[in-house]
Amino acid sequence: MVESWLRGISMYFYMVSASIRAQLQYRYAFIMNILGWAMTYAGTAITMWVLLYSFGTLEGWIFWELIFLFALAVLSWGVCMIFFFHFRSLDQYIVNGTFDRFLVRPIHPFFHFMAMKFDVGAFGQFLFSIVAVALSYSHLNLHWQAWQWLVFLGAVWGGTLIQGGLLVAISAMAFWTTRSERLYWVVMWPAKNLMNYPLTIYPRVIQLLVIFVLPFAFVNYLPALLLLGKTSQTMAPFWGFLSPFVGMIFFWLCFRLWMLGLNRYKSAGS
Amino acid sequence: MILEVIILGTFKMYGEFSRKSFQRAAAYRFDAWTRIIGNVMFLFMWGFIWYGLYHGKGEVEGVSFQAMLSYILISQALQGLHGAGTPLWEIQERVRTGDIAMEMLRPYDYPTRMLFSDFGSITFYFMTAIVPLYTVLFLVLKPVVPTSFSQGGLFVVSAILGYLIRYCIELTFGLFTFWLVETGGVEDIFYFAISLFSGSVIPLWFFPGWLEQVAGYLPFQGIFFVPNSIFVGQLTGQAVWDALLSQVIWLLICYAILRFVWAKASMKIVIQGG
Amino acid sequence: MGLIEVNHLSKHYQIAKRQEGLGGALRSLFHREYMTKMAVQDISFAVNRGEVVGYIGPNGAGKSTTIKMLTGILVPTSGEIRVNGIIPFKERQKNARQIGVVFGQRTQLWWDLPTIESFELLKQVFEVPDQRYRQNMATFSDILGLGEFLYTPVRQLSLGQRMRADIAASLLHDPVILFLDEPTIGLDVVAKERMRTFIKEINRERGVTVILTTHDMSDIEKLCQRMILIDKGRVMYDGELAKIKERFGKERVLIVDLEGEATDFSIAGAAVIKQEGNRMWLRFSRDEVTASQLINQISEKYEIKDVTIKDPEIDVMIRHIYEKGMDGQADYQQE
Ligand SMILES: Nc1ncnc2c1ncn2[C@@H]1O[C@H](COP(=O)(O)OP(=O)(O)O)[C@@H](O)[C@H]1O
Ligand SMILES: [Mg+2]
Repeated sequence: MVESWLRGISMYFYMVSASIRAQLQYRYAFIMNILGWAMTYAGTAITMWVLLYSFGTLEGWIFWELIFLFALAVLSWGVCMIFFFHFRSLDQYIVNGTFDRFLVRPIHPFFHFMAMKFDVGAFGQFLFSIVAVALSYSHLNLHWQAWQWLVFLGAVWGGTLIQGGLLVAISAMAFWTTRSERLYWVVMWPAKNLMNYPLTIYPRVIQLLVIFVLPFAFVNYLPALLLLGKTSQTMAPFWGFLSPFVGMIFFWLCFRLWMLGLNRYKSAGS
Repeated sequence: MILEVIILGTFKMYGEFSRKSFQRAAAYRFDAWTRIIGNVMFLFMWGFIWYGLYHGKGEVEGVSFQAMLSYILISQALQGLHGAGTPLWEIQERVRTGDIAMEMLRPYDYPTRMLFSDFGSITFYFMTAIVPLYTVLFLVLKPVVPTSFSQGGLFVVSAILGYLIRYCIELTFGLFTFWLVETGGVEDIFYFAISLFSGSVIPLWFFPGWLEQVAGYLPFQGIFFVPNSIFVGQLTGQAVWDALLSQVIWLLICYAILRFVWAKASMKIVIQGG
Repeated sequence: MGLIEVNHLSKHYQIAKRQEGLGGALRSLFHREYMTKMAVQDISFAVNRGEVVGYIGPNGAGKSTTIKMLTGILVPTSGEIRVNGIIPFKERQKNARQIGVVFGQRTQLWWDLPTIESFELLKQVFEVPDQRYRQNMATFSDILGLGEFLYTPVRQLSLGQRMRADIAASLLHDPVILFLDEPTIGLDVVAKERMRTFIKEINRERGVTVILTTHDMSDIEKLCQRMILIDKGRVMYDGELAKIKERFGKERVLIVDLEGEATDFSIAGAAVIKQEGNRMWLRFSRDEVTASQLINQISEKYEIKDVTIKDPEIDVMIRHIYEKGMDGQADYQQE
């Protein structure tokens, strides 16, 4: 058991290094990809700034708090992208038949697929989010205690698993509908955008939905309450501690869904 | 007489492209579904953001929440329509795969043909998704709507001009792919400019003064900001005509640039084979 | 007991019906109808160790579907498969270690990486010992000439090179059985020949059992002692190629271009099956008359400009089997 895990991990790194080398072949694209992502997020940050220019606050959140909320989500999204972003294009593998190769190799198909790409574009996310978190940290005069740093790490870890889980779930749809990329852009992308703003601006139903069904709230909003020392009328602060655990449970469920889809693929073909 | 026949024939040919892409759009029902979901989600998001911003405030910069709600609704509806056309990445893909080069050999004008194709898919989306959905939303939410026939008419004219402006800009950006190996950065500039300066989510009147001025000098405001403002009644009287005129001028400029870039791209294909 | 045993194997697909026209498209937004496609129906066969079996049939006959079931990619609707004692879909990973698979239409290599890196990745994936890896690479490079493109990214390889790389990749872990789904598709004559030589050699030297699907009858002629002919998911024939040739290969077609207009053209022992201007198609049977006799006869009466003799293409013979079965009269039409 341990041995097979070790083997899996070493193979993962082996494949990942191959994937990085593959991406490095297109040097210009490599850089543009990273800069492009950083610019996209900077664009959203500018939009937020313009938004708050005439209004001052959004439900009691000032600009830098909003930026922190946003950057926290982008940070874990960056980590998640590295490992799981290519899951959204599972449909292409299925449609042009290259998915079959994962089934004629003696390793777990999920794992094999996961190791197919290591998306370095995600460094654009890091570039933006680390700068943005640092800036808001200083503008808001935050002084985190040790436990808050733990919450921060927990949020990144949990956020990675939650968003990664959702990507896995979306890719699983390709097994039934041969569509996943589109689904990502029209469902997950807007849903993720929803979470760039404080949850309390949305109706109660949505708040419950993103806490209990698609646990996006654990990616940034709930931990941010703890990290910014804010209170909310509706949510007890301890929710923010739960991110890592919610992440693990959610990811596991999504993984099961993926396996279910794989079984369906094996009986129905593409 | 002969000229008439030619014009009619040409129109029929391009109309055929519209018909085809209408049917295609109808065949891909899954796309239609998912697209409307995304559109509604963004509408929802912006609706509540503005609701939150207006919380406890009456009018800001002379604009009521009802007017702002109307702005967001019509803006999102228009964005939905724009999104049903050929997206930038697909144009880039067509350039990369050489599809466009192949099209240049055909006996029609590609930019026109693509425009007519887009009309087809947009009409389908308009009829089956946008009209039903937004009719219901307007009836339920009761935001500000045009009060006169002429206001409505001017909005339609302005929206069409806005569409054509975006079309020209987008195709031009797409054609840059002929010269750039990797277009990542170009794409991001395009999307950012469209999303902020077109007033798609934040009307220009809420911009800081200097930024509003910058936006005023750019073609993007003609895409959503002008039609939206006419729709919610923020532009009236002489201002409407000025805005329409600026849209027309921008359209002509963008079209000229498109034709220029297109001619260069055609040359490049003819001489270097793409 | 055979190395591969297939008993009453069937695979049915559910296909959503596309409805015609705009109305149909709108309707299908809300309601879809399905139909069942029987891609493979009640197929049985056994393959012994060391055999090279050609699995042939027209497009859509169910070849790829069968291969996918044998390799564990697809789960059968019914029936049994054993590959070296393993039920592929149940123990997919275990099965993967003992088989090599090549899908001619799509590569299994890493698209953006130099070819050698794909080999090294596969070495890791299949845990091939260093020593064995080096030996295999040496052998394959030798026969397949991999050396010339080992450091080229796979996307830049020509189709022939890519196929060579793919087949070498599928053999790195010394599989017992090699499945080749259309390994020669799209290759030119030289590349095809090279491929065939390699497959033959692998079979002879290493005793690898090979099952290959193809459209190209010359693949079968050069490689396979045995062929399994399928159509519409059913086995039409399972046996030696020679038998088929003997049964259906007697009839040939002679195409003659005459100098002038041919009126009342008739020749003993041959039937005119087609005429286009001065060109005639004559069918004759090898048993009754030889080609040279025929040509002599014709040249006595007419001025001959050009002649061509067409052996019955095996495709044609096979189409005949599809249409009439093994016992039908051999009265095919050459197009
Ligand atoms: N995933 C699938 N879903 C539905 N039908 C399929 C699928 N794969 C193959 N088919 C159908 O099954 C039949 C057999 O296909 P295939 O095994 O690919 O044939 P071959 O490889 O002999 O050309 C064809 O009619 C094909 O259209
Ligand atoms: Mg096939």
